[in-house]
Amino acid sequence: MHSIILFSMVLTLLFIGLPVGITLGLSSILFITFFSHDSLSSVAISLFGVGNHYTLLAIPFFIIASSYMSTGGVAKRLINFAIASVGHFRGGLAMASVLACMMFAALSGSSPATVVAIGTIAIAGMTQVGYSKEFAAGIIANAGTLGILIPPSIVMVVYAASVDVSVGRMFLAGVIPGLMAGGMLMLAIYVVARIKKLPAEEWKGFGNLVRGGKEAGWGLFLIVIIMGGIYGGVFTPTEAAVVAAVYSMFIALFVYRDMGPLQGQTWVNEDDAPHARVGFNGLVYGVSFFLIWEIMTFFIWAESETMTGGDRATWGAILSIALSIFYVYKRSSKLEESILTCLMAGFPIWGRNLSLMTRKFFPTMFGNESRKVMLEGTKTTIMLMFIIANALLFAHTLSAERIPQAITEWMLDAGFNWFTFLIAVNVLLLIGGQFMEPSGLLVIVAPVVFPIAMQLGVDPIHLGIIMVVNMEIGMITPPIGLNLFVTSGITGMSLARVVKAAMPFVAVLMVFLILVTYIPALSTALPYSIMGPEIIQ
Amino acid sequence: MALWPHLYLCIFILILWILERLFPKAMNKAEENLLVLVIFSIMAVSFGQVIARYGFNTGWDAALEFNTIAFSWLILLGMSYGIKTNLHLGVDIVLNAVPKGIAKTLSLIGAAGAMLYGLILLDSTWLALLGIDVNGGAIAYWSKMFKIGIGTEELRYPIFMQDMFDLRPRVQRWLVLVILPISLALLTYRSLQAFIDIARGKRARLISGHEAEDLVKENQNVLKD
Repeated sequence: MHSIILFSMVLTLLFIGLPVGITLGLSSILFITFFSHDSLSSVAISLFGVGNHYTLLAIPFFIIASSYMSTGGVAKRLINFAIASVGHFRGGLAMASVLACMMFAALSGSSPATVVAIGTIAIAGMTQVGYSKEFAAGIIANAGTLGILIPPSIVMVVYAASVDVSVGRMFLAGVIPGLMAGGMLMLAIYVVARIKKLPAEEWKGFGNLVRGGKEAGWGLFLIVIIMGGIYGGVFTPTEAAVVAAVYSMFIALFVYRDMGPLQGQTWVNEDDAPHARVGFNGLVYGVSFFLIWEIMTFFIWAESETMTGGDRATWGAILSIALSIFYVYKRSSKLEESILTCLMAGFPIWGRNLSLMTRKFFPTMFGNESRKVMLEGTKTTIMLMFIIANALLFAHTLSAERIPQAITEWMLDAGFNWFTFLIAVNVLLLIGGQFMEPSGLLVIVAPVVFPIAMQLGVDPIHLGIIMVVNMEIGMITPPIGLNLFVTSGITGMSLARVVKAAMPFVAVLMVFLILVTYIPALSTALPYSIMGPEIIQ
Repeated sequence: MALWPHLYLCIFILILWILERLFPKAMNKAEENLLVLVIFSIMAVSFGQVIARYGFNTGWDAALEFNTIAFSWLILLGMSYGIKTNLHLGVDIVLNAVPKGIAKTLSLIGAAGAMLYGLILLDSTWLALLGIDVNGGAIAYWSKMFKIGIGTEELRYPIFMQDMFDLRPRVQRWLVLVILPISLALLTYRSLQAFIDIARGKRARLISGHEAEDLVKENQNVLKD
């Protein structure tokens, strides 16, 4: 009886337009005030205690990392790389858009950001070469949802924190389904392209592919840092997130230089001599290799007794010097300069860039544009965390009233088995996803369905992936689908047109949802073979 | 229970009101800078900790506690900022469907609800006076901590401050917790402002319909034919 009052209070407040966080919090407070004898002091202090969920501290940093990565330049580089890899198939530009969305998803945890960043460039590109705008918009709206499935994903962090499973396993579990969803979308595009005779780009050769990869490489290396750090057992997810945030800040401000005082300053000037450029490039390869070597070997041998930090550095230095010399040797034959002159001529360019970076360090780090990106990240964090904080309050109230247990008993009595239960979860989340922000919905639903799932023998990691895929589909199904709004907003198409355009590909994702729901191995195989099974007490 | 914390909170809000009247832009910027500063300091401490731990095998014992506390500060300070800037998400399907007059009334109820949230959590004594069996709240808890004066687990004052002011080594818990009543009072104040603005027709509603509203607005119709 009490639980009905609680739920109807939440629904009423939600629909008359209270903020989601206030709705959940106020309902819990009023419920405690009128039906329980708990002191409100404990409620107030639990609001303060949200920060103590150390796992959740990863969220702001993933958001900041993705804010820096979302600045125009990175998206452009990813699209170029994607076109170079799959552009030559029929419907290649569309497939490249999906691929670019997948890569961008791996850098950012947010779906709308993916749609805006990739969509603004890719939709224009597709319409130019003769795709219909509907087709292009439909693809981007769908592919944009991969943002929450491909790790790192904020929704996964929230799930892991609210039911206490490992973030690392969740991230790994998202890899195969994420690749599969992207693959299925691309396959569907290929089939459509064959039927509709959509154009293909010309194949520009491996050189182009490698060049695209190098350009995008600095951004994509972020994935290696996050995943490698977590699975190498070096970082906790929160530490990985912090490192990711600092890394993307550095890359965006100092390497790609897409914003801030360094914007437009190229690494190499037009008037640098050709042999100096070759030398500089050689040195860049050397330094990059050294950094990557240091990071990778650190992940592998951090715990090792036999391989010390000094050993690793020595080996790295030897290999990177060899690499620099080899590159210059290959290139300098045309220039008729000795290897040494080339390398020596490269140093002044380095010096110029380093002194520029040092002089502009503080203006770049704390300047207006950097501050703006940080503020955007802070705002998103606040919005999410306020909902999560209150949802935790609500979940606590639920469990104090033993509501999850009551629902568990009822569902077991009603004869649900894991098969029908998962259908029920899917339906519940698909409906709920229409009205609530994914993380907030997850914090509320997860503690309720989790114990039931455990009783029925559903795997905790598998359940998490099912929930995430449901949230994904919730983003592109009317009446309220976030990606539909965003796509309609940037393309100026009406919502109805976007919905119609997205529908064929939503069907693909629906098939994908069924596969993910009923083939647990898709989610669990990778994390369990690498990190061992998740054990729930 | 002593009433002086209530009085101080009222004075604080009053000063804030006057300052915002006098320097609206500077105060706005100061608030944003404060939030960025908090998140930046968490980032700096965590990153420094990663470097110190893996690079030099050392570290700051209180780093974890500092981070979790700063994170709480961020969320609490942010909630009133969110009300002020229409940041908080809500369901706007009904608000969009009903006529304007009703939508306004609903938004007013929304602002009142946010105010109620702040007021009850701040101190539930006024509810108890109405005859409801309830007690406690942020101020009550904070006063208790202030009276006991126990310290936090790890967080200590720097040595020079300990010497200069003859302080006990550990930072008092009430000092860390002071943000709780302050932020709730701020939330109440911002909701009141929102309520008045909505009533006067200066502002349409309290919530934003989806998380990407700003992002979409910036890129509105960039691809329109």
